[in-house]
Amino acid sequence: MIDSILLVDDENLFHLVFEDACSLLDISLSLKSVNSADNAENMFKKWFNDNTPNEKPECVFVDLNIIGSSFDGIELIRRINFQYGNHVVIGIISSSNEPEEQTKALQAGAQFWIIKSDDIEPRLEEFRKDYEGYKNRTAPFKVYK
Amino acid sequence: MIKLDKTTKKALIDLFQKKGIGLEGNIIKMVDHDGDEDFQKYLTECKQKDIELRKKRLDVTKQVQEKNNELLKLNEENQKIMENLQNSLKETEEQRIKIEAQNGELILWKDENEKIQVDLQDAMAKAEQARIEAESAKENAENDLDLLQKRTQSELISTIVKVALWVIIGVGITTTAMYGIALISKQDTQIIGSTWSNMFGILLTNAFSIVGTIMGIKYATENKESQN
Repeated sequence: MIDSILLVDDENLFHLVFEDACSLLDISLSLKSVNSADNAENMFKKWFNDNTPNEKPECVFVDLNIIGSSFDGIELIRRINFQYGNHVVIGIISSSNEPEEQTKALQAGAQFWIIKSDDIEPRLEEFRKDYEGYKNRTAPFKVYK
Repeated sequence: MIKLDKTTKKALIDLFQKKGIGLEGNIIKMVDHDGDEDFQKYLTECKQKDIELRKKRLDVTKQVQEKNNELLKLNEENQKIMENLQNSLKETEEQRIKIEAQNGELILWKDENEKIQVDLQDAMAKAEQARIEAESAKENAENDLDLLQKRTQSELISTIVKVALWVIIGVGITTTAMYGIALISKQDTQIIGSTWSNMFGILLTNAFSIVGTIMGIKYATENKESQN
């Protein structure tokens, strides 16, 4: 089970869906949701500046296009990985399935890409099985369709 | 894991049995039953209830999300339709302005054409007037010419008549004088007498013939004029 998850997504309804799905699948006990990339960046900036890495979530799910944010999900992943010390399992959760965007996400340090749809549970279950590989950095980049 | 004392466990179980209120959410996963079978059963029931509740909420949330997505799509389609409509309206407005401009030009052309038509009618009227005047002038000229011809003819006839009369008078006087001299000088007058008589007769005949000819020409000319 994942210790803590941070979901960055502008869609509040999806927060509920994701929370319930994670609870039902016993994916995580602790889940926090924010609806803007700027808020998420501020959180990571604070943890990095205060030198409190234990407060960081274990895994971060980032939406690709976060409405109301000054940058997109791929840029958030890049900043978390290259500016705020990394040490989290991080990937994209989006309804988009563009190979170009997936390549960009991989270059920014994303470890997975989950296609967001009505039936999210099977993908999350598959992700849970692969999670240990992401945690110890042995699993390759994977797209959950 | 959290471990609870017996009193708390009993209180929780009583609350669940009497009022149906139990632990919810991930906290259930964090509580240890510590070998207590009743509490284990309680935790299982709470978990089951929580799963059912979450499933129900997940279904409802998904339905709402689906509806929301449909509404978003419909909104996008509406926006596209509105954009198309606005573009169509813009194009129609541009066409209207263009047509109005063309109409304005056509009205100007029409006005110019009407003006040209009026000018043409004026010019035609003037041309017609000029034609009538020319015909009138032509008629006058013809009349003048005719008059001139008649005058010339009359003058010619008058000259002829005068000359002829003078010739007749001259010949008459000369013959009469010669006949008179022959009578006075008692010369033979047989030849001169018959000559005078013949000559006088011929002269008178010619004189009447000339007069008659002149009168005939004059009559014929007057008839032709009245016929024209």
